[in-house]
Formats: sequence, C-alpha cells, structure tokens
Amino acid sequence: MISTDDTCVVEGRRFHRPVKSNLSVTHKHIALTKFSVRKLISEEHSFSLDTETTSRCSERVLKGEVRDTLAKAHKENATTAENRRGTFLGGSKTENFIRKTKKRMAVWDLSVTVEELGVEAPPLSISVTSDLHIGGVILKIAEMTQIKMDWSDHALWWEQKQQWLLRPAWTLDKCGIHADARLTFIPQHKPLRVGLPNGAVVRLRACFSGPLFHSIIGICRILNIRHPEELSLLRPVEEKKKKKDKETQEQVYDLTEVPLTVGNISSLQNGMPVHFAISPETEAAYKMLSVSQPPPAPETIAKMYRPASVVDKAHIHSRWLDSSRSLMQQGIQENDKLSLRFKYYNFHELEPKYDAVRLTQLYEQARWALLLEDIDCTEEEMMLFAALQYHINKVSQSEPQAMMTCPAMDDLESALQSLEVKMEGESSSMDMLETMTAPELHDYLKIFRPKRLTLKGYKQYWFSFKDTSISYFKSKEESIGEPIQKMDLKGCEVAGDVNVAGQKFCIKLLIPSPEGMNEVYLRCENEQQYSRWMAACRLASKGKNLADSSFTSEVENIQNFLTMQRTNPGTTSAQADDNINTHSLVSPRYQKKYKTKQLTPRILESYQNVAQLSLTDGIQKFLQIWQALPDFGVSYFVVRFKGSRKDEVLGIANNRLIRIDLGVGDVVKTWRYNNMRQWNVNWDIRQVAIEFDGNVNIAFSCVTADCKIVHEYIGGYIFMSTRAREQSDTLNEEMFHKLTGGHEAL
Amino acid sequence: MFCVKDFDVSNSLPNFSQIQLNFLCRVWCEKAFTRLEKLKNDADSAEQYKTVLNNAKPGLWVFTDASNWKSCALKSLIHYSFNPVLDTLPASLNELEDNDLDALMADLVAEINAVEESVAQAKSAGGAPKPPPPKTQDHAAPHPAVQNNLGPSIPAFAPSPDLTTLSPALKPQLPEDAEAQAKADKIKQALEKLKEAKVKKLVTKVTMSDESSKTLMVDERQMVRDVLDNLFEKTHCNCSVDWTLIETNPELNTERGFEDHEHLVETLSAWTRDSENKIYFLEKVDKYAVFKNPQNFYLWKKDKKALQDVKDKDKELLLKENFCGTSIIVPDLEGVLYLKEDGKKSWKQRYFLLRASGIYYVPKGKTKTSRDLACFVQFDNVNIYYGKEYKNKYKAPTDFCFVLKHPQIQKESQYIKYLCCDDAWTMTLWVTGIRIAKYGVKLYDNYKAAVSKATTSSLFANRAAPSTSTSSAAPAAKTPAQANGHAGPPPLATAFSEAWTQAENKDHSDLSSLPLPPPDPTLPPPPPPPALPKKDKLTIQPQSGNFPPPPPPTMDFPPPPPDHLLELPPDFLPPPPPAPGEQESHTLPPPPPPPPPPPPAPAVVPNPAPAPKKMSPAPPQRMTPVATAPAGEDLMSELMLAMQKKRKPL
Repeated sequence: MISTDDTCVVEGRRFHRPVKSNLSVTHKHIALTKFSVRKLISEEHSFSLDTETTSRCSERVLKGEVRDTLAKAHKENATTAENRRGTFLGGSKTENFIRKTKKRMAVWDLSVTVEELGVEAPPLSISVTSDLHIGGVILKIAEMTQIKMDWSDHALWWEQKQQWLLRPAWTLDKCGIHADARLTFIPQHKPLRVGLPNGAVVRLRACFSGPLFHSIIGICRILNIRHPEELSLLRPVEEKKKKKDKETQEQVYDLTEVPLTVGNISSLQNGMPVHFAISPETEAAYKMLSVSQPPPAPETIAKMYRPASVVDKAHIHSRWLDSSRSLMQQGIQENDKLSLRFKYYNFHELEPKYDAVRLTQLYEQARWALLLEDIDCTEEEMMLFAALQYHINKVSQSEPQAMMTCPAMDDLESALQSLEVKMEGESSSMDMLETMTAPELHDYLKIFRPKRLTLKGYKQYWFSFKDTSISYFKSKEESIGEPIQKMDLKGCEVAGDVNVAGQKFCIKLLIPSPEGMNEVYLRCENEQQYSRWMAACRLASKGKNLADSSFTSEVENIQNFLTMQRTNPGTTSAQADDNINTHSLVSPRYQKKYKTKQLTPRILESYQNVAQLSLTDGIQKFLQIWQALPDFGVSYFVVRFKGSRKDEVLGIANNRLIRIDLGVGDVVKTWRYNNMRQWNVNWDIRQVAIEFDGNVNIAFSCVTADCKIVHEYIGGYIFMSTRAREQSDTLNEEMFHKLTGGHEAL
Repeated sequence: MFCVKDFDVSNSLPNFSQIQLNFLCRVWCEKAFTRLEKLKNDADSAEQYKTVLNNAKPGLWVFTDASNWKSCALKSLIHYSFNPVLDTLPASLNELEDNDLDALMADLVAEINAVEESVAQAKSAGGAPKPPPPKTQDHAAPHPAVQNNLGPSIPAFAPSPDLTTLSPALKPQLPEDAEAQAKADKIKQALEKLKEAKVKKLVTKVTMSDESSKTLMVDERQMVRDVLDNLFEKTHCNCSVDWTLIETNPELNTERGFEDHEHLVETLSAWTRDSENKIYFLEKVDKYAVFKNPQNFYLWKKDKKALQDVKDKDKELLLKENFCGTSIIVPDLEGVLYLKEDGKKSWKQRYFLLRASGIYYVPKGKTKTSRDLACFVQFDNVNIYYGKEYKNKYKAPTDFCFVLKHPQIQKESQYIKYLCCDDAWTMTLWVTGIRIAKYGVKLYDNYKAAVSKATTSSLFANRAAPSTSTSSAAPAAKTPAQANGHAGPPPLATAFSEAWTQAENKDHSDLSSLPLPPPDPTLPPPPPPPALPKKDKLTIQPQSGNFPPPPPPTMDFPPPPPDHLLELPPDFLPPPPPAPGEQESHTLPPPPPPPPPPPPAPAVVPNPAPAPKKMSPAPPQRMTPVATAPAGEDLMSELMLAMQKKRKPL
C-alpha cells in the first residue's frame, strides 16, 4: 500500500516494487498464482515468463511477440493495464537486466511512420544501433524525409506501448526499443475540439504529449482562464445517432491559429488579450468566451441529457480524464471532442477584472447545472436564478463591452466615478432645494382592502404618490385637504397581479404596521399606469422616492416583463431577439409545472431585487447563490465500503467526504479533510483507504469510476486548499502531481 | 435672555466623537457658568436668578452651586435628566431663528477645530497614540480631577458667544481665493446644516443590567456599533464583544439582540407612541458564539465530545470556509420544530430545513429533496426574535421559542410566525443559523470590528489607567507631560478597575483574552507564527503523518463547553456585575484555552515520530499526567502573578 502522503519516497518505492517482482518471477520461475493481481496482469507475467524460459538468444523477437499480445490485451483494457506495463519496462533495473543479456552492439532497422509523408507512404526504415539516442533518431528521420520544416514540435510515439519518447538523451536501449517497435513521428501539439461550459465548441491546439494537467494549462492559457488547476477535461456524453445531422451544423470557433504564448498574458488590446486580436474570427471567439450566451430554447433544455439520479451523476464523474497521463496515452485522437469543465469547486480569487472568461464560463457551467437539474434547488431559488439569468442576459446584450477591461477603461471608469461624485456634490444643493418639488404621481386608481369584511370590491379614489407614501382622496378636487388615508410604503411587500389579456393590472401591497400587515390592492387602468405605480411602490418599499435615478429603468423593466407576458408562447421564435421565453430560464421540472404566464410574475418578483446589479455583480450574485446551495460542489461516486454489502454513494466536496445512502439519499456520515491523516490507494485491489484523526479508518472500492479518479479528486482538493496560502500566482505543478498522480507520479 | 443651548449642541453633534462632544459640553458649560455668575453677582438680579432656576426646562442647564457646577454639568450632560420622550431635532431646530443656526454652526466648527489642533499638538509633543482626555476624565472618580483641571483649560478656549470673533478664523488666508472660498464654504455649511436638519435623532433610555438606565441620543446615521462604543465610554465596562443592545417587546414577550451594523433609529421609529418596549445593554454570549466556536454550529451533528476538542486551527478553517469564501455558507440545519398555526392555539410539528434562501419545510408525503420543499419564510422582510415564556403565553410545548416577524409589527398578528424548539441548544442553533442566512458576511465583519474594539480598548485601558490622575490634569491634551505621564503610582481606584477589566477579559472571549500588555513596556500579543498553519495543513502529508497527534494536552484544557452556552439563563436581566472573584464561578464559560500555545507544543516534541497508527492510542497515557497538572487555573493564576509583578515596580 502506498501512502500518497509521502509521495516522493513512497511512490519511488512503489515504482520499483513491481519491477522487482517481475524479475524475481522470471528468474525463479515462481508460479504465477502467488500474485494476487488481476488476470490481465498475470497474463503479462506469464508471457514474459515464457519468453525467458523458451530461449534467451531470440529474446528480442519473442519480446516483440509478447508486446504484440500485450498490446492486444491492452486494447481490451487499456486504462487498467497501462500502469503495470509502464512500470514493467520503465525501471532502471529492467534496463540493467536487458543490458546484461545483450551480447554486442548490432545495427538493426527501426521503422518510423512520418505523418508528413502522407497517409499512404510506407514507414521509413532507419538503421540504428541500440546505443543511439532518441535525438539522433529524430535527426536521422528529419534527414531522410528531406522535408524542410520546423520539426521542433515533433516527437516519437511508440504505438504498441502507447508511450511518448520524449527524452532525446535516452538511448533506444534505455527506452527498451527493439526492431519490432513501430514508431510514429508526429507533432506534440494537435488540434482538439473542446466543448466549453457554455456549450460552444472551440478548436485549438493542445499538447498531446505532456500530462493532461499540462495540456489544460496550455488550453486555459489560450482561452485566457486563470487558475487552470480547477479545470479538467472529460469525455462528453455520447450523443445519440439521430443528432448526427445537427453535429454538422455545430459551429466551431477555430483558435488553432492563435499563437501559443508563453508566460502570463498581460497585454490587452481592445479589452481582450492580444492573441485574440489577430483576426475577426478570433475576436468573435473571445466575445463568445467572455460574454454569456443567450438563454437556450426551452426545447433544447428538455432534449439534453439530464442526470435523473445520483447514480447518473456518478456516471458523469467517471468520464474525467487522468491528469497525470497525456491525451495520446488516453486514446484521444486529433480533432476528438472533449469537454472542458470546472472540476474542483474551489474557485480561487475570482477577480472580475482579470477573470472575464473564467467568470463567464463558471456562470455558464452553474447555469447549465441548474437548468439540467444536475444540482437541485427549491422553487424560490429557481425563480431567483431565473431572474438573474434574465438580468445578466439583458445587461450583457445592452453593454457587451462592460466586461472588457483594459487600462484605458479603468482610467475612464475612475474618471467617470469622480465625475459622478463631483456632480453629486454640486447637484446636491439643488436636490436639497428640490425635495419640495420631488416628482409625484397622481391618478385615479381603484383600491380594495380585503381586510374589511365588506364585499364592496374596488372603489375609485384620487391617489397621490409622494415621497414613499401613498395618500388617497375622494376626488382630485379635494386633494388639497386631508387625505382619507396615508400609507407609508417603507418596508412593505409589493407583488404584482397582472393579466395582460384580461386587462387586469393589480398591485398587491402588504404594508407593515404595528398591528400586523395591511393588505391593500391597487388596480390600475392600463400598462403605462401600472408600470409607473408599480415602480414607485417598489422603490418606496426600499425607502427610495421617485426622485431616485432607478425609477425610469424600473418602469422599463416592468414594461418589458409585461410584453413578455403579452406575447403568446407559440410565437416565441418571432420575438426571440427581444424577449425571452421565461421557460428557457428554468429547468424542465418547472417548465412542466408552470405556464409561461404563471412563471413571468414570479420571476419578476425576484427580479426586483436584482434589477439594479451590474453585469459582473449579477454574475457574482448568481455564483454566490449557487455556491450556497447545500448540494453545491459535491461530486458523486458509487462505491462499495469495506465491510458493507451494498453499493453506496461517496460525495467528494471541497472540504469533506460524504457517505450517502444510495436508496434514500440521506447523508450517513461526513468526514472533513482537515481531520484526515493520510489516504492510500491499493492499486492492486483498487481500493482507497483513508485514515482520519481519532483512529477512524475507512476503505472503499470504486464501482462507477476508476479509483484513480477518486484518488485524484481527493488529492486535487487537498492541493486546492494548499493554494490559498501561497500568495504567488505560480502554480505548483509538481505538488499537484504528487497529490494526484498516484504511483505514476514523477 | 439667558438660554444655554446645550441640548441643541449635543443634538447637532452626534457625528462627532464622544471625545469631542464631551469636550464641547465642557466649553458650553463654561459659558453658561460665566453668564450665570454675572447674573448672580448683579445685586438686583438675585430675584431673576431664582426665576431662571424655577423655570428651568429640560434642555436648559442651570447650575445652582458654583463650587460644584462643573461636575454637575458633566453629569447632567451625560445623563440627560429628562424623560426619554421621543424627540426629534427638526422640532428643536425649528424653534431657532436662522441666524441662531448660523451662529451655532460657526461656534461649533471653531471649537472643533481648536480641539483637533490641540490633539494634534499633544500627539506631536508626547507621541502618545491617542490621549482622549474626556475618557480619562470620565473615570471612576472624576470630580476632583475635573475640578482641578478645567481651570487651566479655560483660557485656551475662551467663551466665544459671538460668531464674529470666530468666523474670520475659519476663512482662508489667501485674499484672491478668499471670496470664492468663502462662498463655497458658506454653501457647504448651509448644506451641512440642511443635511443635519434632515437627520432624524431620537433620545432613548437604555437599561443596564442592574435596571439602572442611561439616556442617550442616537441619530439616524449611527450604527449600533457606535451606540455600543458610546455606552462603553459611559459605563466603563470591559469592552467585550458580547455586549449587546437588546430590544424587548413586553406585548409580544420577544427579545432581540441588535446586530452591530443596524441603525437603532430605524427600529426605534417603529415603536408605537405608548410602547413599553425597552432597550437593554447587556452581555450576551450567543451574539458572537458562532465565531468563537464555529464547530458547535457547523458540525452540530457530530457528538458533543468530539466538538469539545476541536483545535483552534480547525476553528479558523471552519470560519474561513464558511465566511471568507465567495459566498457565505449557512449551517445545514434541519429537524422537527413546532409551528404555531395561524390564529390557533395549537402547535403543530413540521420538519424544517434552513437554507441560505430561507426556511423551508417538508410538505406532507414529500421527501426532503430540494425540489419538494415548500418555502416557509424568506428573510428579506423579517427579523428573528426570541420568544420568552411562551409556554404560559401561547401554550407552547417548551419555552424555547423564536419568532419571525416584520420589524414594524409590534402587536399580536397573524403575520407573526412562532416556532418552538425542543431545547435551548436547538433554538440557539436555529436563531444563529437564521442570522447567518439573513446578514451573511456582515455578521463576521461586525465580529471582527468588535474584537478589534475589545482588544484596543483593553490595551488602552491598561495603558491609560495608571496615568489617569496625572494626565487628566490637562484635558485638552496639550501638555507633553501628560502624553507619557505615568509618574507616580496609580491610584487605588484605577488599579482596581484595571484588575477588574483584566479579570473580565480573561473570562470572556478567546480573542479579547490575548495577553494584556503591561502598561509600559510593550509586549505585543504573540501572533501565531505564520508558518504554523502551513505546517498544519501538511498533516495530511506523510512527514507530519508521523507526528503523534497532540490531542491529549488540548483535551485537558477545559474548552468552552457548548452546553454551558445553552444553559445560560434565558432572562435578559443578569444580576449586576459581581466582584471579580465571584464572577468566575458564575455565568461565564470556563476560560478558553489560553492563547499562548507553548504548553501543548513541548508536550509533542518529546515523542519523536513512531509509526502513526501504532502511536495514536499510546500518547494519552503518557501525556495525561503532564497535562493535567497545570490545566487552566494555573495558567490563569500565573498570568495574574505576572500582571501583578508588572504593576509593582510602578
């Protein structure tokens, strides 16, 4: 058992151990059964055993056979066997062993496929000796192809072993390459289609040779997302066949031409990183990245895959790629599609100024998680999310430049601010004097007070809205005298009761008084009247009067919502630009539960609390509420606890592990990371064992996902929590691998 | 004829610090006195003098005894001697003529300037951080000191009844700019005046723990924090973070502690004319309990025992996780509570859940998954109150009730929501949870402000106390001697009060119990070594995995038991502060683990790192004898000894 705690040492040990055992097997001809390893692995041993015993001189050839067979076997179960083989041939002891058995240096042919020569071209055959180093091989290849180009990005890929030969100084011998090896000479960076949290797809050049973690750093640098350690790639959910036609239509933003910059992107141009400014297409791509997408059509949401249970969610998490191995090693081909998602829900230093893309994509991921019911929320919360989505969409459409930041903009901003302050200072004297003439509303409205036991219904009076209170009089003529009643709306609750088709425009007021809340209904004649009075009531409930600058925008908002209600849901496509079908703001559950016109007023109700937020504030508020959800940030895995007979669910969150009953969904137990002493992974029986303070030990095997994924998740969160203390922006890549790599690290 | 507008002065000044205010009061008293003296000396006005006295109204200060008038004045200025009639400034301002206002304004500004100057002078001269004279002069035995000291200060601020003498001083010196500047100034003043006039001010009575009361003025812009600071100065209490302003409503039997960021005036204006509501000034442990022991609230599901030995760094981590992230995490509370049904007398059980967005309940036949929950209440428009003795009043199943209502509702109404918990701890959990959900990060900010206030004031008390007698000799803080004045032994009274504060501090919050630096040689509170947390973090890492866990020593320190907290008497009238000795055994939780970490640390060192698994059970046996011996008391007495030693040389 390895303790990942002491990664360096232990993993070193771990690295060598299997090698040793292999050797002992081959020499002593020990029966295989002694190894309590999985079938496939024993197969490996048996083959090497055979090789050894049959004949030593023809070792090379036979080994080739072995490897071929192995390669086949690996195709069946590539991921699991990978680790074993790596250790089998990678260790220095193996190398020594091979060296000993070798008689003398001989020249032999190595076959290398070069992509650049064309698909049909036969592989090059290069004569080499075993002590030739990789760099030399590459040099020979470059010479032989007689193509003059920059080969610097190319490297050798060993097909059968699914392994890159990246160390130019290593000899073929050291790498274990023999005549049977079929190598390909390919670029390390290849185009990859990446599905973003917002649903868009970008095509960009990703590193296929380094560990995935490294590739993601590169991808995030292109996309201008800070803190790439929080993201990872996963295999997308297989799409059904009938969607094939759709796929052809799918728009792909091509970013392959974007130069790969090194270091931090600091220079900005037109409010975007320099590398996006090379062409209109890339500029469009940046806009897509940094501005939230309009709400999807409700049908799209309904059609998309939604996890129906915890088990479904657990299956999604089995799709994460392994951070410590390269894309190529994980069977990802050029132009394959992968999804880029925030994997660790621990978002470090979100800074709107630098994180335009990151915030937007985070928002998109959160939004989709809610729309697709990946995370549950209550109805009230859903309405608030809907209101925020509506608001964010509206604001980002009206001021798409708001997110863009550049020094000049900052200056302008501060200049504007100071101007505002100045204006305020200057105008306040005017304001002061004008308080007497603050705008007022006067109209004939109808009032209904259900508190009284009469059945009189609505009665018309002359209403006047002044400051934060409503007074009403018998008629306009009598408005000079004492009002019949004066109601102060400060702290009251305002709700609308509107039916555009039925020409019903009611404002429901709950006005607090020492005796309780007074219910008052005001009925307006038309939309105009309603929106003005409604806006006034809303402002007054927050203690603002009509002079407040937000009054006009409030009126507009209300009118917008009214038009949303007026248009029939059938004609959604026609008016899609301007108005949103409120169904596209909520998850299918609520689409089914409520009709659009029922939904609209409820969203409007929540909307009044957020309508004044700026774009970034709106997004941040959305994220805050998302993060405050009880189920936020929990990744689920179906596991089998040691000593338990049934499958259970393990939730991994950023600060704790949760044991959940699969049937009922109740939390059985919670363990926090800060009480964790160590965790071990037994790769042989694929079991994760964790020790907590106070001698609490748990162990489980993973059912839905590979235990490497679980291990990586835990290690990843530990890594994320160490981050906060480091002030510098540099990413401690080595530490990440130590914590998440398992026995493959280093 | 003769009218000292003291009332108006203090009225219009609430945005000034207490220090400045007190000082101004004194100057005004001075003025009043000179006029009175004049009146008295005038032979034939003896009669008039009497009538003045007889006609004295609240707001007019009249001093009968010349020898004692100064202390009288101070006293009466601090304790407004009229009924707590709700009174607003605009009314009193309206009575004044416009030019009166002008004069008032000019007067005040000039005097404030003078104060600031003198303070600055004292600062530069003595280098003392902040020698606010009024504070010291407010001290236990102020009378003699004040009497001695006021005399010399008078000439510096000669009474200036006329605006003309002072207003030139306000004006800038440069002639070319002067006109424009003067105009701008005038506008500014006028604006300020207008703003001032619009600010709502109330006079209210605050009841202390011993049922005595103090009357004070609060204005619209003042937060509860400011009011508390005010009261700290007036009551000379220790400035522990637990001090709370509490609103009680006898009609509803409710009680609510104000949050520090709230505006008192807002609540006060919701009271009805004949309201019997009261404001109390009391220490309430549950005000900030969540920040002192976050584990009790966030890990409440774990067993009590485990919660008791939660380490400090784990507490910090909890606070960081829940209060310092992008969003505030509300404790996940759920459970059965009793709900008083609308208009009925019966209480019905329901399963409630707390979320950041509100309180929800599980409808009949539904599960407690988020989508099925029904919203019970959201927090935008309601405040949370404790309900007292509802077993009697509303036939509640227990006396542990809380109430959610709109702050303006003062009487029984169907819009009030009554909930009842099984025990006091559950109630504390819910009330605290709801406060977190409602106020979010503000609560934590308040706490941090309160802690810093508590630490600085205890520091200050410590530093300033010995210098009281001498320093108050120059209330204007002008003489350099005063600034570093710690000549001569401290008077008995101060020494006592100092000790009292210390004793108090020790008993209270973990944070304010930072070692109190002795008056003179600076001994900064030892901050935890910055490297420590990082190392701690690595416990998960292998190297430290070898470290035997250090729980035994920490276990032996009596940690503040959560039970204690709940068992606090629910009534809001704790007995008057007893003598320091008595105090300890009384209400407060046992001393928290003392701040300096040394004791546990050395205990760990002698056990060098055998395999963790085998080791962990072993340590307790080895450590217990070591750790039990000193425990909490010893450390405390040691501290006391140290303090006394420090004081002796002085």
